[in-house]
Amino acid sequence: MTDAETRGGYRGYIGSRPVAGTRYPQRVQNLVVRDYAARHGLELLLSLTEYAMPGCYMMLRDALAELAHAEGLILFSLFMLPPDPERRQAVYREVFERGATLHAALEDLMVTGPEDLAKFEDILLVDAWLPHTPGRGYWDKAG
Amino acid sequence: MTAAARPDALKALETAAGGAGANDSLGDAFLRDGYVIRPAEDRDALLRIQRYMADSAAESLGMAPPADPTRFLDEIGKHVRPDGLNAFRLHVINRLNEADWARQAYFGLARRTIESIIGNELAMQRNFALSIQLPEDDSSLLPTHADVWSECSPFEMVLWTAFVDCFATKSMFVLPLAESRAVTERLADFERSGVEGLFHAIEDRVQWLDIPFGSFLLFNPSLIHGNRVNHERTTRWSINCRFKGLFTPYSDKRLGSFFDVLSMRPATRMALSYKLPGGFDD
Repeated sequence: MTDAETRGGYRGYIGSRPVAGTRYPQRVQNLVVRDYAARHGLELLLSLTEYAMPGCYMMLRDALAELAHAEGLILFSLFMLPPDPERRQAVYREVFERGATLHAALEDLMVTGPEDLAKFEDILLVDAWLPHTPGRGYWDKAG
Repeated sequence: MTAAARPDALKALETAAGGAGANDSLGDAFLRDGYVIRPAEDRDALLRIQRYMADSAAESLGMAPPADPTRFLDEIGKHVRPDGLNAFRLHVINRLNEADWARQAYFGLARRTIESIIGNELAMQRNFALSIQLPEDDSSLLPTHADVWSECSPFEMVLWTAFVDCFATKSMFVLPLAESRAVTERLADFERSGVEGLFHAIEDRVQWLDIPFGSFLLFNPSLIHGNRVNHERTTRWSINCRFKGLFTPYSDKRLGSFFDVLSMRPATRMALSYKLPGGFDD
């Protein structure tokens, strides 16, 4: 029996830090991940919750290691990936080397191979530059 | 105005849009009015989207694809009741949102106008919104508002496309730009009377936009607008979708969750991945 045949389900990944500047309660993150899995017919495995310390990806590391036994990873948002492009590439590499898929529930996006990566990367690369554009890329209505 | 008059309305638009200095006047018209109404730039794409929606609607009702999509959509009130309207609407728009060709087709309806008014590095709303307004149905109304008062950035523009002839109460109203600005400045005066009170205060000054099938409306989100009960005999079908400059400020409709990258120039793509050499000690 191969790894693929013994695999089951998609691991959820939620966080304890703001996502793209917005703080989402974990209950809300779980609802979004569950809704995404249900809409796409994916069996959801209990979500791992990343620690709150800035720059910490210990839970993501565990989730990636576990992909030998799971079919994929459902991030609450693609903005939970490391901001450094090279660290992100390492994440993608690990996902694809394990024959798994990567999903972003809030953005309703999935990547199944390197040819799909622009779906994530175009958004992340542009977003990273928005703070350097007029208005710092955000129209703030709070005054 | 009757449905029979509609081809004339579209012809007048085509003449105006294609006239001498048309490109030069586009920006002026937008700055003056806060919106432009123009003939669809890709008629085949328009017909394809309309046909797809009509077929999806027929499928939802267990009917054969209609021979005349415009008439079928106009007269959908013969087959759909208000209490079933939202599920029906969701079926149709979900089918369109799932179609991999639909986003480019929709952009193609107004590409030159959008690029002229907004720019050519663009973000586009990820999912279309569909409005179906049955005659005399008060369940799908859009209260008086300006999009910037909620989640939208003033850098967004709304591409609103009619899939049947839209006119009078079957269409949407706008408060002319100068009036919109004046009302916006004193919006707090309406706190006690509410949104309905606001509408009654501006009711005699709003314009009901004449948007024949075959044309689109592109409008700024600071423009006060809305709709009321459709008192015409046929049903409104319109799609709206937002576009903005890729690198202009977003509000709470964010890149990724609400907007997606539509177009990025090669120089930008190359610059985004450039990294200065490191390893130097100061």
